[in-house]
Amino acid sequence: MRVCESSSNIKDYGFPELQPGQVIDDAIDFMIGMDVNTKLDLPFVASPNGMSISVSLVPCGDNLTVLISDVSDTTEQRRKLQQAANENELLVERQKKLMAELERASRKLEQKNRQLEEASRLQTSFLSGVSHEFRTPLTSIIGYTNLVLNNLQKTGDEQKGLADCNNDYLSAVQRSSKHLMSLVENLLDHGKLDSDEIVLKPKPNSLKQLIDDVELVLRPLSETKGIEFNVIPPYNETATVMVDDSRLRQCLINLIGNAIKFTDQGSVTVDFNYANDTLQVSILDTGIGISEEDMNKIRLPFYQASGTGKIGTGLGLTITERIINMMGGALDIFSELGEGTLVKFNVHASDLGSLDLDSATRELIKTKSLDILLAEDDPFIADLMILMLKDWNIDVTHVVNGALAVEAVQSHNFDLIIMDIHMPVMSGYEAVLELNRIGSTIPVIVMSASAVEADQKRAAELGCSAYLTKPVDVQEIIETADILLSQ
Amino acid sequence: MIKKKVCMVGEFSVGKTSLTQKFVNNVFSETYLTTIGVKIDTVQIEDTKLVIWDIAGRDSLSPINASYLVGAAGVVLVADGTRLQTVESISEIWSTVREKIGEVPCVVALNKADLEDWCVDNTTIESLRDRGWDVFETSAKDGVMVESLFHKIVEKTKE
Ligand SMILES: Nc1nc2c(ncn2[C@@H]2O[C@H](COP(=O)(O)OP(=O)(O)OP(=O)(O)O)[C@@H](O)[C@H]2O)c(=O)[nH]1
Ligand SMILES: [Mg+2]
Repeated sequence: MRVCESSSNIKDYGFPELQPGQVIDDAIDFMIGMDVNTKLDLPFVASPNGMSISVSLVPCGDNLTVLISDVSDTTEQRRKLQQAANENELLVERQKKLMAELERASRKLEQKNRQLEEASRLQTSFLSGVSHEFRTPLTSIIGYTNLVLNNLQKTGDEQKGLADCNNDYLSAVQRSSKHLMSLVENLLDHGKLDSDEIVLKPKPNSLKQLIDDVELVLRPLSETKGIEFNVIPPYNETATVMVDDSRLRQCLINLIGNAIKFTDQGSVTVDFNYANDTLQVSILDTGIGISEEDMNKIRLPFYQASGTGKIGTGLGLTITERIINMMGGALDIFSELGEGTLVKFNVHASDLGSLDLDSATRELIKTKSLDILLAEDDPFIADLMILMLKDWNIDVTHVVNGALAVEAVQSHNFDLIIMDIHMPVMSGYEAVLELNRIGSTIPVIVMSASAVEADQKRAAELGCSAYLTKPVDVQEIIETADILLSQ
Repeated sequence: MIKKKVCMVGEFSVGKTSLTQKFVNNVFSETYLTTIGVKIDTVQIEDTKLVIWDIAGRDSLSPINASYLVGAAGVVLVADGTRLQTVESISEIWSTVREKIGEVPCVVALNKADLEDWCVDNTTIESLRDRGWDVFETSAKDGVMVESLFHKIVEKTKE
């Protein structure tokens, strides 16, 4: 398109003066893309010098007429109106967004609140559950010890046949104590669950021994409930495997214990399989089963299935699954309400062949007599340990604090020192420091009521040879002593 | 010399003027001054004279005046990434464009990418790309992706 003619006033709007014959869109930007036939109204165009103009393109014949007029006045009015309207709209939008955010925040808060309430409800029911669980074994311990004490006061003829009776009572006390102990361990483990404090300590174990142990603990439970209890050992049960037996036992007792707890009729069948360094266990019961709703929550700590009337710490499964995972395995639960439950899990346990662990230890130790220094302030524990160690042909010198232990070491040559940590006058750690200072090389087994890993670290830093947690099993001491002394 | 008319379209206050001014004059202002009608700017990109029509945004008072679109070789659809409804209205605005001047080349600017309350998710962006549009997350304030945006639309109008 080329210019035919133009009025001179277009310069007032900041456009260049146009020459006839000139290409129009070289000179006037808004004409780019237009043609002779374009009929168009362009209101409110900013002109090159900043005025507001209105442009009309009117085709007539072969030509196109372009009309330009100044609309600055109306533009100003419009600008005020549009600016106010848009700003207002933005404010409204902003307000809506804030309201939505507020609502979201308050919903979140509400949800958080509900969660907190639920958590506190669970804690409360957990606490009452725990106290109940503790009360049962404690009541039985107190009751049976009373009976034993009564029996002991009897004289002469009355005493006949009482020894058997006392034995039964004491076994009951022992069972309850063990149960109490496992409850406490569960509670402690729960504290560790969050802080990653559970540490596995695998050692060689007889598979058969392990399975027999578990059966021994749980059979009485199934008998009281009058249900069938089947344990199917693996065909290769003589294998010796590398596994943390106390943790594995804990898992088995938890899971099988649950199966028995929730089965009132029928049977609980435990099937063991061992192959490729993996122990597989399946526990099938004919109990009340688990509803779909409970299935989703069953792994939450403190959760107790509703309406079952069964009470426990509600921690077992959480801890068990965690331990199984740590042992390189997985836990699966299949169940339907009223249809019984199948629990399956596997853990890694390397095959060490068929070692005879027990008799090997026994022979080694029995052949030589040992001279042990025991530093322990609690007279009951000390007496108990002396009695137990005597049975193993071990001489025990007993002192009641760290200072006396150091003194004893200076005047006598011991094979081994067993040191309690918390003692009056001089603690076990202080004594070990002192022994290090005077250049003693006698191995020290530290013994403490606290199973916290930090304590163990401290013991290791001080160069103690081993760390045992109370209540100390004599077998454990013997095994540790054997390892230490054969080094 | 090739001359191309390109229109900036979108809801009010999404940053059409700001993107244009950043690209043409390398300036940015926090103050919002709404555009009345249209402001035309030109800029030279290689062998092309790009004529940018910065059109008043669609608002509650007025729809986009489609007359301004006539003769455009392409459009830049602009939305504000912190105001979801301006992104949602892209479709409608595109319909207006298509009715008036057909399927011209088009790029999308999701503007104000520098702001905290960005609320466009990847699914939305993908659905825009699925329509064959190039999508740019721009910031007129920081100048991010502004050059790419305009170079892309010029390139597309020449295809
Ligand atoms: N933070 C930030 N603010 C921006 C950006 N782009 C534009 N703004 C602000 O957003 C507001 C609107 O920008 P304009 O460029 O005027 O928007 P518009 O699309 O031209 O608006 P209308 O002309 O009314 O249609 C102004 O206050 C700008 O400062 C950006 O990339 N980041
Ligand atoms: Mg504007």
